[in-house]
Amino acid sequence: MAGYIIKRIAVAFLTLLLIMCITFLLMNAVPGSPFLTEKSTPEMIARANAKYGLDKPLYIQLWNYIKNYLRGDLGTSLKMQEGTNVSDIIFHQGKFTLSLKLGLYALLLAVIIGIPLGCIAAYNRGSWIDGFLRVLTTIGVAVPTFVLATLLLVTFAVKLQWLPTLSSSLTSFKSYVMPVISLSFYYTCYVAKLTRTSMLDAINQDYIRTARAKGVKTHALILKHALRNSLIPVITYLGPVMAGIITGSFVVESTFSIPGLGKYFVQSVLNRDYPVIMATTVVLSALVIIMNLVVDIAYKIVDPRITLTEKED
Amino acid sequence: MDGKFAKLSPFQLDPDKIPDTLSPADFESAAESEKASMVEKHKSVSYWRDAWRRFKANTVSMVALGIFILCLFFAFIGPSLIPYGYGAQYRSSQKLGPFEYSKGEELIRSITDDCDAFYATALQPGSKTAVSKGNYFIRYKGATYAFTLAKAVEKSVIMLAADAAEPLLLVKESDIKDGSVTQSTPIELSETAAEDAKELKLVRNVVPHVFGTDSAGRDIMARTMYGTRVSITIGLVAALIVLIIGSIYGAISGLAGGAVDFIMMRIVELIYSIPEVLIVLLLQVVLKDPLQAWFDSGTTAFARAMSDLGSGIVSIFITFALLYWVTMARIVRGQVLQLKKQEYVTAATALGASGGRIIRRHLLPNCVGQLVITTCLQIPSAIFLESFLSFLGLGVSAPMASLGSLCSDALETISLYPYRLVFPGVILTVVVLTLNLIGDGLRDALDPRLKK
Amino acid sequence: MNESNTLLEIRDLKVSFFTPAGEVKAVNGISYTLGYNEVMGIVGESGSGKSVEAYSIIGLLQSPGKVTGGSIRFEGEDVLGFNDEQMRRFRGDRVSMIFQNPMTCLNPVYTIGNQLVEALMCHDKGYTKEQARARAIEMLELVGINNAEKRIDQYPHEFSGGMRQRAMIAMALICEPKLLIADEPTTALDVTIQAQILELMKDLQKKKNTSIIFITHNLGVVAEICDRVSVMYAGHIVEQGPVNEIFYNPQHPYTKGLLASTPRLDEEGRERLVPIEGTPIDLLNPPQGCNFGPRCKSCMKICLRQKPPFAQVEDGHISACWLHFKAPSGKGDAT
Repeated sequence: MAGYIIKRIAVAFLTLLLIMCITFLLMNAVPGSPFLTEKSTPEMIARANAKYGLDKPLYIQLWNYIKNYLRGDLGTSLKMQEGTNVSDIIFHQGKFTLSLKLGLYALLLAVIIGIPLGCIAAYNRGSWIDGFLRVLTTIGVAVPTFVLATLLLVTFAVKLQWLPTLSSSLTSFKSYVMPVISLSFYYTCYVAKLTRTSMLDAINQDYIRTARAKGVKTHALILKHALRNSLIPVITYLGPVMAGIITGSFVVESTFSIPGLGKYFVQSVLNRDYPVIMATTVVLSALVIIMNLVVDIAYKIVDPRITLTEKED
Repeated sequence: MDGKFAKLSPFQLDPDKIPDTLSPADFESAAESEKASMVEKHKSVSYWRDAWRRFKANTVSMVALGIFILCLFFAFIGPSLIPYGYGAQYRSSQKLGPFEYSKGEELIRSITDDCDAFYATALQPGSKTAVSKGNYFIRYKGATYAFTLAKAVEKSVIMLAADAAEPLLLVKESDIKDGSVTQSTPIELSETAAEDAKELKLVRNVVPHVFGTDSAGRDIMARTMYGTRVSITIGLVAALIVLIIGSIYGAISGLAGGAVDFIMMRIVELIYSIPEVLIVLLLQVVLKDPLQAWFDSGTTAFARAMSDLGSGIVSIFITFALLYWVTMARIVRGQVLQLKKQEYVTAATALGASGGRIIRRHLLPNCVGQLVITTCLQIPSAIFLESFLSFLGLGVSAPMASLGSLCSDALETISLYPYRLVFPGVILTVVVLTLNLIGDGLRDALDPRLKK
Repeated sequence: MNESNTLLEIRDLKVSFFTPAGEVKAVNGISYTLGYNEVMGIVGESGSGKSVEAYSIIGLLQSPGKVTGGSIRFEGEDVLGFNDEQMRRFRGDRVSMIFQNPMTCLNPVYTIGNQLVEALMCHDKGYTKEQARARAIEMLELVGINNAEKRIDQYPHEFSGGMRQRAMIAMALICEPKLLIADEPTTALDVTIQAQILELMKDLQKKKNTSIIFITHNLGVVAEICDRVSVMYAGHIVEQGPVNEIFYNPQHPYTKGLLASTPRLDEEGRERLVPIEGTPIDLLNPPQGCNFGPRCKSCMKICLRQKPPFAQVEDGHISACWLHFKAPSGKGDAT
């Protein structure tokens, strides 16, 4: 187990390194300079380049990034808040915590609502409850996050005025409601669909027949025998969910004007703020990679057949 | 025992005692043909026919297919049915609500209702210079009437004499005031149209702006139709790209096996663990300028076609080609590995069938169901990604529209004109929903094993 | 067989599957009795209804399958009249079942011990956890699993196929049921393992005095373990009798065909295996006459019109075939 985790962490670092290289190459593939504006003269650009080390050969710039990142130095912003330390912006100005909180609440909601909904649908298969949930979840996975978020905003904040329009600081419970719901709705529906399918799949398995044959009570059949087996595909899906929630947070944060990491990333991409792009990419990627690791370990706990040391075919 | 066999207790019948109802002829041997007639033969149906039968039986999927076909009509045929263009800005028709007319259109409507007049609508794409320079012609009752427009017009009514059936006057929108025509322009007529003359479409009725217009005076329905077309096309092409790259990669990996497979799968895993959306966003920005430069310098037909699509869409395709094929590759590889183990493939190999033959005759037909399903479900996810990028302002750029960019445009004025979001948003949802349902139906129909 | 010795009595049982294509009469009126301490084999090809019949005894029939007629009495009680809770208490406690594929029949995410203990605990027999565990270990030892103390905490995937089937048997017998239904328990196993499992079942049957309904398509297995045999074809029992009668004096053309198509080691000089021509009938549209008629070599005109009644061949040996009956005027006897 420990050996496996160490190996996975090593692979995670390699992946991050690769992502850094890709990001760096992509950033530098763009002709021109981040300092190029209508007013800037070649001298000004050259001076700015020299100041931020952008005049050095690419491999040296890349090496500098890696070296600094290993020391925990994420560099300084070139644009939005020029000269500010990027790690200050990300971590100390609360951007990271804001996004992380939003993402984790959404993930939690998807799991604690989605799984029971899926179970209820599977248990009442063919009834009106199942039918209703199927319609709801099928539509749910077809509504784009931004449409839902905007409609929620217009309906509950602008028209009905039940909830605050700007969730900017996410201070109160009310300010969380709409962002979290719009971020998690798709995944709640998806998890519910997935749980229903795998639950029905599990119910048709031979071991459920065995359990019935030995007289196990119906609720134990569902909650003990079917649920744990049907959770396996759901857990595998949680890794992609985390990546998806980060994606969704770009939209949700810009719709609700939440000054989180997602919004910041999009801005920095549009502004070509190299150190910020690099830092946010690495931080968000790390989040996804850590989540994948957690999922794989959870997988092992639920399914004893998976031995973490060897890969399944 | 009164000859009622059905009620006899199983243990009691005496073999020597036969009820009187039977005759000796009953104990003659039966002919083969008689025996055969007792067995009902099942007709063997081909895989595709059987799949289609199963799909047809699935009401939900059939309804979804019907709605999707309607969406296709809306997107591909709809634009030719309405007189508004997706890019045309009708300056007097800004910020109209659904089913509204601009003031001028209202008047034109009353004129065309009152007298024998036609509304000419081919003055696209609305640029004034283009109109004033051009020669125009109309066809009416078999004759061609060519004419030059002396002055710029946006919309015009061609008045026809009730009996002579000749165009007489051209009324410009600006010449209509308070419900009456203040001035009309005589048309210089000639019988034959100039070589590059544009034909004016004559429409009897003024078409309302069904979805309203945006702040620039563009018809939202025309834009939505166009946007639906763009979104569906992007979905199809992206799915096709994924299908081609993914299945080739997966098939090579699965068939080769060994070290090749190992290395190829490690590459897949690596790409898999990259949070693709971050890279996609970067790519969108990065590719924009180089693509534009390539379009500008490009002279080949391919470059020009790409240039028509715009850098946003092309970079979406590139993104799919680079990052999104991994799932497909995994699925195809899994199928290939599974099929390689099947007895009939072993048997074919043992019988000396060549590699190509095994792929064609055995692997491909068995993979095809999975490929169709995965591709079909890839389309909505590509549409989603495109709309997401357009929403963030990175996808298609104006005057082009996609469903995502329309939603994004609607955001600025969302509290005043929520319907501007609702129309493209609902159509986007419906397209994705129906494609998902069709995909589900295909899965049930093509892979009956999965249904249980 | 006198009444007090009857454990299970099935009368005219009918089971149908209501599919979109129509009603499939999987079991169409079968009757038999099973005594205490008796092993009955039910033989037939796939789709003959043998498993469906067994599932309806233990109440495992699932939608769209439904019992449409007849009765099942177990120790005098009407099994078909049980409500859900009575049925649950009945299953596993008084009747239990083992299945064909031991690889998929155990829940992969729980230990063997957990699943054995559960079988005991869900019948509220007043065991404490420790006692239940001790009983589970005892059962595992009984079915010949070495090192049961340790293996009880292992997961199914750590067991081999044969070992899993042993664990299944231990689980089925842990409540000491009166009847064990074994649905092709050896089919999925290697031949050597098959023999071991059969040996084990014979042994346990003697020790525990459990009655067994042994469902199989393998006649060799039947000869090994059963007292009596019922041969099923397309939802009907076509022949029933003591195992020696069925093997050495088969009467029904289907039984004969079945025996002729099975390799046997005891008959040196036999020429070759003879397959039964044709395919089983379509149960959606069963023929009016004998179900086996279309495949039968000695099929007569009457066979295509009317279902044959049972005739008693020997004491306790019955067969349903028109060939056992003489034509009314004495001519046309086709045997």
